[in-house]
Amino acid sequence: MPTQPAIVVDSVSKTFRLRGGGTRTLKAAALDALLARRSVRHFEALTDVSFAVPKGETLGIIGANGAGKSTLLGLVAGAMAPTRGAIRTDGTISSLLELGAGFHPDLSGRENVFLYGAVIGITRKKMRVRYAAILEFAGIGEYIDQPVKRYSSGMYARLAFAVAVEVDPDVLLIDEVLAVGDAAFQRKCLQKMRDFRRQGKTMLMVSHDLATIQSVSDRILLLDGGRVVGLGGPESVVNAYRSLAGRQGADGLAREWGAGEARIASVEFFNDRGEPATTFEWGGGLAARIRYEASRRIEKPVFGFALSDSAGRLIYGSNTQIEGFAIPWIEGQGTLRLRIPKLVMANGSYLLSFSLHSEDHRTNYHRLDHRFPIAVVGAKGFEGPCHMPCEWRAG
Amino acid sequence: MLAFARDIAGRRELLWLLVQRNIKIRYKSSVLGFLWSLMTPLLMIAIYAVFAGIMKWNMGRRDFLEFLVVGVVVWQFLATCVNDSLHAITGNSNLIKKTAFPRVIIPLAQVLANLANFLLTVVVLVGFLLVMKRSFHDVLYLPVVILTQTALCLGLALFISALNVFIKDTEHILGVALMAWFFLSPVFYAAQFQLDRIPAGQEWLVFLNPMTGLICAYRSIFMAEALPGLGLVALSAVMSWLILLLGLAVFQKWQIRFADEL
Repeated sequence: MPTQPAIVVDSVSKTFRLRGGGTRTLKAAALDALLARRSVRHFEALTDVSFAVPKGETLGIIGANGAGKSTLLGLVAGAMAPTRGAIRTDGTISSLLELGAGFHPDLSGRENVFLYGAVIGITRKKMRVRYAAILEFAGIGEYIDQPVKRYSSGMYARLAFAVAVEVDPDVLLIDEVLAVGDAAFQRKCLQKMRDFRRQGKTMLMVSHDLATIQSVSDRILLLDGGRVVGLGGPESVVNAYRSLAGRQGADGLAREWGAGEARIASVEFFNDRGEPATTFEWGGGLAARIRYEASRRIEKPVFGFALSDSAGRLIYGSNTQIEGFAIPWIEGQGTLRLRIPKLVMANGSYLLSFSLHSEDHRTNYHRLDHRFPIAVVGAKGFEGPCHMPCEWRAG
Repeated sequence: MLAFARDIAGRRELLWLLVQRNIKIRYKSSVLGFLWSLMTPLLMIAIYAVFAGIMKWNMGRRDFLEFLVVGVVVWQFLATCVNDSLHAITGNSNLIKKTAFPRVIIPLAQVLANLANFLLTVVVLVGFLLVMKRSFHDVLYLPVVILTQTALCLGLALFISALNVFIKDTEHILGVALMAWFFLSPVFYAAQFQLDRIPAGQEWLVFLNPMTGLICAYRSIFMAEALPGLGLVALSAVMSWLILLLGLAVFQKWQIRFADEL
């Protein structure tokens, strides 16, 4: 059924004018005018971006900080105008670009709900119809008549999310808003987004949470330095981004150091089917092939690995010494294999580190900290960072 | 101009909610709430009465208190509109940066909220003038005068709210400019005072200040003061509407860059 796309972005570029200290003072403006000089510098946030989103599609947008993701959403929302190119949208757009944009702290939750509806162009009549659903999803009860400044940040986030999704827009824009709120709230939001998708609504979603975005998107757009560098199926684009981020240093956490007499030349990852992978099924295995080279003979070396969450917090680490896998010596090139038979972490993005050091841990020959991003998807529901087998029984 | 009218007509509900919001917020969490709209002008009149009485300040008029109160009330409407407009756009950066709607609605809603407040003040003023046994004159013109002043206020509000996005010094210039304007306008003196000091044939210069003609018109209605000349007052009115057009034009041209600059 060929229909008109919900969003068409056609050769869009966006240039911002940068000035020394933000807004110009009169003195600076007068001096510039007098000396006929232009003190403005230009920064191109988006360069020649084109794509179309068919109705009913969920498009994820990923990219490093500063890649232009939020600018793109701002343009689609119509808050900003493109410098070049054109954007066409079809239907009402509700944007969750910032939780509670437009909420006034002194107004009650109820008043803010109606105000937000008016801001995005929903008639009051329609808002009255949706109001009960908003109230129910937000779950803040009688607090709805209190000024929102008295709300906890969780209540505030719930109300803002509830309004944005329950006003029943044709297109929903979401910018990294799921980072707030507790796990229960995030689950509720994700459920809502799935419902939304099932109703054939169009969504544009920006997130750094690669596992989530991969699981909810039909396609993913990868931005790098303001340009589209990938657009396609979630898994392939997320993998492309991981390798891009890996090259660029996994968002700043990655570090490579060591004495250098021996080094880890490469690490490759494979799934249970033996295919190269960076996204792994929960409960499945991960295999790594580590190639090393040593410029001299090194006695009793120790290879280690560590698994950290995306913020760099250590979750688990082990090495050949702990596991009792003794390596008498290495010299020249060689290969070592590591296998983790069952990944039990919660869904999410993780960073793997590898190290090669001496038996007494005094000499670090080579360390690759947080150097290899991977993701785990498809975990069964549980609370906390990793799964623990448990059994329930009656009686 | 037409585009603005269409934009606003299409978003009447938003405009109305924002006007309500502005009115509500003003007195939110104060005990007397909306009563302040009536109390403030009453208290102001009382203070002027006491002060002018003690200082024997009357500019040679027996009706100086009424004369002064009319001038101050009218001036206050303009001054609050201008001061509120300063942060109309910059203070709503969240909305501007994240959502799309006709930006003109924000300053317009503020001016309309101030207009509502002004109308209440006018009610108090009329009561006060009745107590002082003043006679009214050509009351049918009052809506036209109020509409013209609202146009002036909106024009300035549009211009200032947009300017403050790009030039932060606006706030400081505004304070000084508003004070100079106050003394140039016949608030605590009569327009005749200026006309007496200007060469014959150049009276129109005084009425280039839209507030001169407006205050004269209000005093003519509320206090049966003689108008200095219908042509001169009309000049002030034309200036008011010109300022509105200018404000709309500037706002229209600059609004596209609001989200980039905030």
